[in-house]
Amino acid sequence: MTAGMARNGDGVAVPATRRTSLWQTALAKFARDRAGLVGLTVVALYLLVAIGVWFGWWATEWADITGAKWAPVSAQHWFGTNIIGQDIFQRGLYSTATAFEVGLVVAVLVVVLGGLLGATSGFLAGSWVDEIVLWTMGVVDAVPFYLMVAAIAFALADYPYAMHVAMISTFWTTTGRFVRGEVIKLRGLEFVEAARALGVGQAAIVLRHVLPNTLHILLVQMTLCFVDAIKAEVVLSFLGLGVKDGMSWGLMISESTLEFLAGHFNNLVAASLLMFGLVYAFNMFADALQDALDPKRVA
Amino acid sequence: MQPWHRRLFFLRSIGGVSLACAVALAGGCGSGVAEGPGRPTLPGPKTFHHSFEQAPASLDPVQATNIYANHVVVNAYDTLFAYKYLARPYQLKPNLAEDWPEISPDLLTYRIRLKRGVRFQDDPCFPGGRGRELVAEDFVYSLKRQFDPQNRPQGGWFWQGRIVGIDAWKSAGSDYAQDIPGLRALDSHTLEIRLTRPYPQLLDTFAQGYSAVVPHEAVACYGRELGTHPVGSGPFKVVAYDTARVVFERHPGYRQEPVDLAAEGYDPVKQRYTGVERIAGRSPPFVDRLIIDFANDDASRWNSFTKGDEVQLSALPPERAEAVLASLNPVRLQPEYAEKYQAYSGPEAGFVFEVFNFDFPDFGYHPDPARERRNKALRCAIIKAFDWEARNASWYFGLATVFPGVIVPVVPEFDPALSRASVTRDVDGARRLLRDNGWTAANLPVLVYGQSAGVKQRMFYEQFRAELKQIGWPPEKVVLKQFATFGDLSRAWKESRLPIVAKGWGLDYPDAENTLQLFYGPNGSPGSNDANWHNVEFDRLYEQAAVMLPSPERTALYRRMNQLVIDDCVGMTGLARNRIYLWHRNVVAMPDREIVGGFWLKYVDVLPPGQSARPEGLGATG
Repeated sequence: MTAGMARNGDGVAVPATRRTSLWQTALAKFARDRAGLVGLTVVALYLLVAIGVWFGWWATEWADITGAKWAPVSAQHWFGTNIIGQDIFQRGLYSTATAFEVGLVVAVLVVVLGGLLGATSGFLAGSWVDEIVLWTMGVVDAVPFYLMVAAIAFALADYPYAMHVAMISTFWTTTGRFVRGEVIKLRGLEFVEAARALGVGQAAIVLRHVLPNTLHILLVQMTLCFVDAIKAEVVLSFLGLGVKDGMSWGLMISESTLEFLAGHFNNLVAASLLMFGLVYAFNMFADALQDALDPKRVA
Repeated sequence: MQPWHRRLFFLRSIGGVSLACAVALAGGCGSGVAEGPGRPTLPGPKTFHHSFEQAPASLDPVQATNIYANHVVVNAYDTLFAYKYLARPYQLKPNLAEDWPEISPDLLTYRIRLKRGVRFQDDPCFPGGRGRELVAEDFVYSLKRQFDPQNRPQGGWFWQGRIVGIDAWKSAGSDYAQDIPGLRALDSHTLEIRLTRPYPQLLDTFAQGYSAVVPHEAVACYGRELGTHPVGSGPFKVVAYDTARVVFERHPGYRQEPVDLAAEGYDPVKQRYTGVERIAGRSPPFVDRLIIDFANDDASRWNSFTKGDEVQLSALPPERAEAVLASLNPVRLQPEYAEKYQAYSGPEAGFVFEVFNFDFPDFGYHPDPARERRNKALRCAIIKAFDWEARNASWYFGLATVFPGVIVPVVPEFDPALSRASVTRDVDGARRLLRDNGWTAANLPVLVYGQSAGVKQRMFYEQFRAELKQIGWPPEKVVLKQFATFGDLSRAWKESRLPIVAKGWGLDYPDAENTLQLFYGPNGSPGSNDANWHNVEFDRLYEQAAVMLPSPERTALYRRMNQLVIDDCVGMTGLARNRIYLWHRNVVAMPDREIVGGFWLKYVDVLPPGQSARPEGLGATG
């Protein structure tokens, strides 16, 4: 028998089928999605920019006054300067790091919180724990997002992470609901029954057997949440409820309101373009990831 | 009138109006404001439409804390004195007062006669709805209201400790039936005011909205609602008021006083282009309806102004300066704007400044004298790092006047020859000062920079932080603290919670004393001395000058005090803004919002659309 060949029940040689996991299939599917790859590449570029900012490789003069008021686009100032002479390009780059910082922190914590609460709620569906989690989700969802954020920002006064807290405390419910539904489906499957039969504790079943099987949902939710967090940060910063220290695209757009009447749009254009690029690329990436990880499509 | 007569007068009046008020409150008292949001519905009346960036919180004179409130108050009510329409520098003139007062040789007693025949506006609060004659007792009553805590008054500080017995009257429970020895109506049209010590600015205080004359019938009738329903004797009657706009109509019973341009300080060379000669010999007010919109957004006000059929006067937003102005100095409009508008550029009667709070041991007073010396070096270094010219360019067209000290350019005591070292940027000098006094990036204190919420305020902070970075101050040690509202920020100043106070001050009267009192020790928080600076020599000179009439000797004292503020590096000061007003060509006006603000509105006239107030051959800026 030649390599890679096997015999079927009738003794006929057929090509051997290598057993591949769902993850490998999803990866292969993602690798064939050109739009997804382009999105991932662009996101990676933005991430590189953010890393450079964090390590102080570039955009170190974002807060300095390096030029004249409203200096035009030039080799020295690629996007010109703002009303007090700060370089808009450097501020735009610096804001990329802010976007990633907000996006990552919020997305990770939302997935952790939503995943844990959703899994617990789903696994104990019908119990009083489930009731409490569902009631909490209902209450949180009933409050308009920006009202909730304003209330939290006000309550936390000068706390620099007030915006993060606000987003996490409102975004987790969506992830929680998805995970709850998936866990309700999983908890009746054989591997869970087997774990129970072997005497594994409930917490261990949830953490070691059930939650890992919701990872595809969590990954997709994380990417979606990342984008939502960036967009929300921009809006909140524009409204004065967002970034307290540092710079963000929302603050740049907010600054541009001082410049419209004078016919200067560099702040607006720079912040909008940079934000559009990242959000669009992340959406392409998230769509591709969703397609790749969808169990029905993968199957 | 004898005291018992006055008591009777007061009680009878209260009783007399109570029935009228009961009826009026049921459906009559509020009828004057029943027009809803105040949209002009009549097509005919001659209307002047103005706008402001903020709405006054109350129209009650006892709470006329800012120019927005004063613009309404001095037009709905009357004050004993007023500022001349056209005179610059500002000059006082009798208004309700018949003439200048008789003043005793010791400068402690003022006798003021009121004009006869001045009537309050018709209102349901009066018996029969017809406004009665204004008498001296009304002024006494109105000033007492500033010392009645129930009214939440804001202006009592003008007269506190100055008028004989007024503080005791307040301490005794603010009983209106009780007399104040230093504030008396000698007869129906004569007032006598006795002072505890000479008060050269007394007459200026009687031009403030705080001192406007209120009829007690209106207070009895409307109570707190007086803040939305003014009843005065001014040229206009408020017919609608809310947070979006105030609408006035001409007071038909306003006294006939033909305009004497020369007496108003008219300067034909500088002011003829405004067309104000058209109002000579005529009695104001000249428009039937006056509307003031309150819109916080510059762009909205500007759009409404340039649209042509709404707001007729606007301050030029700094962002539009490049597009609208052909020349900054002197101010000239681009031809297309000069075709349609008139313009005036004038200096602010006030200034913006930033002071250190000496209550903070990191910057101000310290128990250790050596550290206190180092703190002074720290303050002086920050002052050297501060770039006033950059602020002027960024925020004030580059037209503002940067000046050393706290005596502003519009007052006669201003010293143009004073050294400008304290307002000239010197980065090397600042670095040297820090180094020589042992300040390094590691031991520099954290500086909390308080501002109200807003993008412009945030940019002020960024500018400040960038300037400090240039002298070696780590940016992370300059922290922004934003307050949700200006009121919150103001409270933080009053409670001495911020190490640096950045604010603007508009003069209450054209006298340097009004800005020097911002540094007088006893005025510390919650008073007006936000720096909480206490300098023995300054305080002594202030007290000495406070009882002096204008003279070269007093000017010398003022200037010495000014120098003390500069020498002790109390703060970054200062900058006087230059405002640029634009108005439609068919409007006859000389706009102004300085000092008290608002006295000019009764002189505004509006010509039919298409006509121009500007005489042939003159430019849009004179």
